[in-house]
Amino acid sequence: MTSPSLSPDPDAAPLVVQDWERLAFRVHRRAYRDDALFAAERSRIWDRTWLYLGHETELPNPNDYKVRALGGRPLIFTRDSTGELHAFLNSCPHRGTVLCRETQGSSKHFNCFYHAWAFHNTGEVAAIPDPSAYADEEYKASMRLREVARLEVFEGFVFVSFTDDVPPLLDHLGAAADYIRMIGEQHVAGMEVLPGTQLYSVRGNWKLAVENAMDGYHFSPTHNTFVGYLRESGFAVTDDDQYAYNLGNGHSLLILTGHGGRISMLWEPRFGEDERVRTAEHRREMELRLGSERAHLVADESHILFVFPNLLLFDLEGLSLRQLEPVAPGNTDVRAWQLAPRGEDPAVRDLRMRTMVSFVGPGGLATPDDIEAYEAVQRGIEATAGNGRAELDYSDMSRGMAADAAGERGRSTDEGAMRGFWRHWVRSVGAGGPVDIGTPPPPRPEPTPLPSSRPHGLDEILAGTETPAGQEEVAAR
Amino acid sequence: MTALDAELGAAVRGSDRAVTRAEVEDFLFAEAALLDRQRYDEWLALFVEGGRYEVPTTDAGATPASQGGYFVCDDWDLLRARVKRLRSRKAHAENPPSLVHRMIANVRLLEREGDELAVTANFIVHRARDGRTNAFPGRYVHRLQVTDDGLRFRLRRAELALEQLEAGARLSFIL
Repeated sequence: MTSPSLSPDPDAAPLVVQDWERLAFRVHRRAYRDDALFAAERSRIWDRTWLYLGHETELPNPNDYKVRALGGRPLIFTRDSTGELHAFLNSCPHRGTVLCRETQGSSKHFNCFYHAWAFHNTGEVAAIPDPSAYADEEYKASMRLREVARLEVFEGFVFVSFTDDVPPLLDHLGAAADYIRMIGEQHVAGMEVLPGTQLYSVRGNWKLAVENAMDGYHFSPTHNTFVGYLRESGFAVTDDDQYAYNLGNGHSLLILTGHGGRISMLWEPRFGEDERVRTAEHRREMELRLGSERAHLVADESHILFVFPNLLLFDLEGLSLRQLEPVAPGNTDVRAWQLAPRGEDPAVRDLRMRTMVSFVGPGGLATPDDIEAYEAVQRGIEATAGNGRAELDYSDMSRGMAADAAGERGRSTDEGAMRGFWRHWVRSVGAGGPVDIGTPPPPRPEPTPLPSSRPHGLDEILAGTETPAGQEEVAAR
Repeated sequence: MTALDAELGAAVRGSDRAVTRAEVEDFLFAEAALLDRQRYDEWLALFVEGGRYEVPTTDAGATPASQGGYFVCDDWDLLRARVKRLRSRKAHAENPPSLVHRMIANVRLLEREGDELAVTANFIVHRARDGRTNAFPGRYVHRLQVTDDGLRFRLRRAELALEQLEAGARLSFIL
């Protein structure tokens, strides 16, 4: 394609342009609003890639189930009577009726009210009224519940695929897997999803939510009031020495060390003195269980991890998961859960809930401003739509592009993680890849995430809570 | 927590005087008028020191705020931070402020214990913003402190009667 930005036909304008001479990166705004592209995303991404479905701790007991849609397909996520996980299409094999009309519960059977067909939660047919009118038992057995093509679990995170033609889940997760593993390592008892799902919808394209999560540049201006609150409560906030990484397969990561405390791992004055003592004790336990180096990585760095295409993990003061479910080009359903250590001290759990809900979620002190941003973008990008405006109809993501050209890691306040996402997206959606202007840099591996230069948090906290036992263990490492 | 204890100690003394439904209605209607006009400082003065504001998620059921996902679980510190934020021009989600309009009905007085009175009411809040209007139906489940010169919120809790927050329906305002 020559002169890519000058095409008069907006449908022919390239979706993603990287200009290596001017160090510019642009995304055509129809990517956020075009119905045909939305359909292509459904068929080429949501129908062909591993998708995050839910966490196994959402179904603690046999027969528990949750109902939720993925890629527009209604699903029943259940743990069957033998304890095995399934994701059934929530549609009767007979005539397509929605089978389970509750949103959650516990049941050994799913019964269709229309013609009273009944199914075991293993998927087998339990009963078909008047079966003699059907050819034979084999026919009846063929009417078992339709299931997703693949279901795999990694560290409690349950992923599904609507096609068999996907690599093993661990290959898809690639370098993202270790950051998921670190979550499980935070506490010896492991983590569980808490009840109470933040279910909300935004008038914005799903990719705006991905961009926002990978965008350290917006934090100070967009969250001005929240940053002010943090500073007043003695919480340090800086954007220095923080980096963004592309992990391959569309996944990306921000490693943050400048936003302070992490409950039970990195103490802040606003967490209170009791929490300081508990944190010191827990850090000593982590040190013994994981070794000093790993404990430092798991405890002292905050992470925002995007697992392509629909999972965001916010491993910050506490842990929250966000699942993106695109409904229309300009409309996205979001489901958010809190993850917490199993059997956590009630006082810590209370602190965790207040701390996380104060930031994340549609009623918090910060997330509403993010939603305001996605919704304002979705309305604003209409301004440049239409024939004859193709050259203007781009959003700019050039910040820190020199790092891409040099093959270096970019800062969290640059836009490199977004660029990595868009490069992957434009290939996945069947648009042929980004269009280069000038000479692209030679192909080379993405920079590997480096441990931050942040000091070991155990040393800091022990400086404030020295005990004989604590001194012994510090000496031991 | 010692600062908070001191504040609580200085709080208005409770009363065991009788309260009528009309008094509770007047209190809730006056509160609604303050919120519809974004008069947040006066609204905050309707709380006892140490008061709380909660909005559970639509699927939270009986899960207490300390143990599960909530939309809002403000203690006194966060509640004051929320009001400070709402008064700032940098609270982008409410600048310009949404147009809100609330109706309160079905007010009922429930159990009374000393100076504490449990009340419920149905609400519907209409919120217009960016060319769209969202309706938020639900139920208030408040715990009020009765004092000699009026009522105060100890817990102000709004339970949504929705399956989820629909598009555009973020709770950047006070529900």
